[in-house]
Amino acid sequence: MGLEPNFTPDGGDWICAKCHVPLEQIKVQALYMHSAFDVILPRCPSCGLTLIPQSLAEGKMAEVEALLEDK
Amino acid sequence: MLEQSQLHAIESRCTQEAAPRCRTACPLDMDVRAFLDHLAAGNMRDARKLLERHLPLPGIMTAVCDHPCENACLRRDLGGGIAVSALERFCMSAVSTQTKPLIRPPKGQKLAVLGAGLAGLTAAFDISHKGFAVTVYHEGEKEDALRAAFPALDDSTMSEDLRALEKFHVSFVSTVLDESLLARCSEEFGAIFVDASVCSFAPAKDAVDGSTLVWKEKICCGGWTSQTPTGARYASASSQAGDGRKAGITIQRLMTGVSLVAAREGENRENRLHTPLDGVSPLPRVVPAGDAYTEEEARREADRCLRCSCMQCVKECPFLQKYKEFPRIYARKIYNNASVVRGTRTANVIMNGCALCGQCEVICPERFSMADLCLQARQDAVERDVMPASAHEFALEDMAQASGPESAFLLEDQNAVAQGTHGTSMFFPGCQLAASRGNQVLAIYRFLREALPGGVSLYSTCCGIPAHWAGREKLFDEHASILRKDWEACGKPEILAACSSCMAALKKALPEATVIPLWSKIDALIAEPFVCSAPKTMSVQDPCGARHDHEWQRAVRSLAAKAGIQIHEATRAGEESACCGYGGLVWNAQPDLADAMAQKRAGEFSFPILTSCIMCHDRFATETESWHLFDVLPQTANADLHQEKSAPGLSARRAGRAALKEAALEEFLGQKPSNRYDNEPILLRIPDSVQRAMECRYILRQDAVEAVAGIEKSGAKFLNRENNHILGSWRPRNVTFWVEYVVDDDGGFTLINAWCHRMVVAGAIQPATKVIMEEKVHA
Repeated sequence: MGLEPNFTPDGGDWICAKCHVPLEQIKVQALYMHSAFDVILPRCPSCGLTLIPQSLAEGKMAEVEALLEDK
Repeated sequence: MLEQSQLHAIESRCTQEAAPRCRTACPLDMDVRAFLDHLAAGNMRDARKLLERHLPLPGIMTAVCDHPCENACLRRDLGGGIAVSALERFCMSAVSTQTKPLIRPPKGQKLAVLGAGLAGLTAAFDISHKGFAVTVYHEGEKEDALRAAFPALDDSTMSEDLRALEKFHVSFVSTVLDESLLARCSEEFGAIFVDASVCSFAPAKDAVDGSTLVWKEKICCGGWTSQTPTGARYASASSQAGDGRKAGITIQRLMTGVSLVAAREGENRENRLHTPLDGVSPLPRVVPAGDAYTEEEARREADRCLRCSCMQCVKECPFLQKYKEFPRIYARKIYNNASVVRGTRTANVIMNGCALCGQCEVICPERFSMADLCLQARQDAVERDVMPASAHEFALEDMAQASGPESAFLLEDQNAVAQGTHGTSMFFPGCQLAASRGNQVLAIYRFLREALPGGVSLYSTCCGIPAHWAGREKLFDEHASILRKDWEACGKPEILAACSSCMAALKKALPEATVIPLWSKIDALIAEPFVCSAPKTMSVQDPCGARHDHEWQRAVRSLAAKAGIQIHEATRAGEESACCGYGGLVWNAQPDLADAMAQKRAGEFSFPILTSCIMCHDRFATETESWHLFDVLPQTANADLHQEKSAPGLSARRAGRAALKEAALEEFLGQKPSNRYDNEPILLRIPDSVQRAMECRYILRQDAVEAVAGIEKSGAKFLNRENNHILGSWRPRNVTFWVEYVVDDDGGFTLINAWCHRMVVAGAIQPATKVIMEEKVHA
């Protein structure tokens, strides 16, 4: 089992509107300012469309962005 | 990048860390302020520790000190200097010994002190505590010299301190103090101190070097008696002990082969700390009810200490308050930050938090400028490519919009053009006035065209100040060359600027141009008093960009007087005015801090605010009643709805600029408007609450429209089966926008929520944007 942080949707029953399949928690890479991180995010297992919840964007992600910008 | 020498020059202008007057007055460098602080707080042990750390022979010293600190105290004329000496004696009697200095095995070199006066004993104390064995020669008993100089000193205090001294390898030898002893000692000892108060062969004070007390070769001398203004001689304990300490430092340096003079500037006791005394009321000295202070009395007396401190700039500025430091420390942090090759740049936030408004420089008695420091740091960071992209990106995009084809225009005076000339004036409203008050801009322009016979053009674009504030000098220069081309094409007219930041930028971009405040011109054109609906008493906010522009300030007050408005001057008006938070792009880099600036400044006015800068107005409007001069002048007051309680949001500003361009070109050139803003690709409804949240996240209406349209076109979206909300993302530039919306019955959309981030996640953006590979992963 990986140790990557796992972020689920902020609520609701989300599916990929194109492929009509439920999302799965899948490991993806987040890139910023010459750095890369592995995170587990809700993703369409078929087309790969990935959802970034608001709580992640304005929480941890914003924190890390600020940290990297000060590097 | 800042050189270290430049840093020292900058740092030295901030005196906050300089010693208070009590300390500079003390030849022993006693930290009196900290001592009093401990006492006032009831930390008696810490107070005693401090005495033991700073004073030689603490029992003797506190008993006989002639306390020059009390005369130097700033409380002197405000109830009397703090009774430091009595407080020291209280502390010594109330608390037992607190420190236990380490007794080291003596070093090889042997040192001699001739004479056991206070200077000789201080030298012996200091040198022995550094691990040197010291022989003190004295005549009669070792206490005799002190008894003669300070008859009131009691024997037990004396013997206790001298006994303690003996533990530190100090030996006392009774003998005759004469020149033959000096000659003998010169051969036997590595260095010698001669106590001038007891050695008859000691030289006069002016025969020794003042900064080191070196008399000849390895012999130092000090401890002369002092003279009163009437000529009487007396033993000043502080001065004699100070000599002993200074000579002690010299002797240690002699022994260790260190330069005798290097880095001793700190011993020059200069008063550099500025302490403002405004509003300090006199408070009389606490007189002990008995012979000496009780603890309660001592605490009250110590609490009278003013805790001398400058902090004048910090008291005024939310930015300087934010990191709980003062400019000297900020300068150091910024310098250290710039020196980081790879690692965490903790001071990025500092340099980008300054409004560059210049208030600190005006308030500071030494003219320390945080603006210069922070601007230089930003330029340096940009040059070395370590400036955080997010800090000013939105503001620079806004600059591009304001000076791009959507908003910027240059309208020559057609009457002048018809005669083959150019207007002699050019009205430059500035991008924010154009964004916020388009109708008033047009109204005043009509007035200017009628009132100025030489003709006047209208040039609506960005002045370039955001680039300058962001530290992007190259971008500023590029923008300046566009301004120059247009200005020259118009026959180099005088420029009437309605924004003080524009004035600063235009003077920088076009140094040879005449740039004058719009308000001066209007003041000259409106000779008679006029009626207005503004409050009868108002406070003027002088924009920070015009803090040194007396003509601007005068014109605003003159126009207010003609409008029948009585001006109540705020604290910190004119040169000392404070920024609304727009300056320096703080509103973009650190919106919370910018809001704190607006709140603080708005709170300093007792009456509705009259502003002459639209950003001051717009930023105060959400806090309190605020009027812009355009809301007062008869030519413009009714052209736009005066919204004293609100200001346009970011999307509305961009739309406002574009609308001004279309209206101006239609009115003066007869061009048909394109109605671009009525032709959005989709019908998107954004509820007010969502719009407000978007403003805080710097998401424009246009961004949301493009996102929904793009997502609908590609079909790459999520569906929430619980409520049929659709969610998708869009990355038009270095930001990914997420929009959550529903499809309305009429085929339009209603936005439910929108957020954004900068990080790139594969699969989380629209492939159409083709930016996913912009980030290169560093190994």
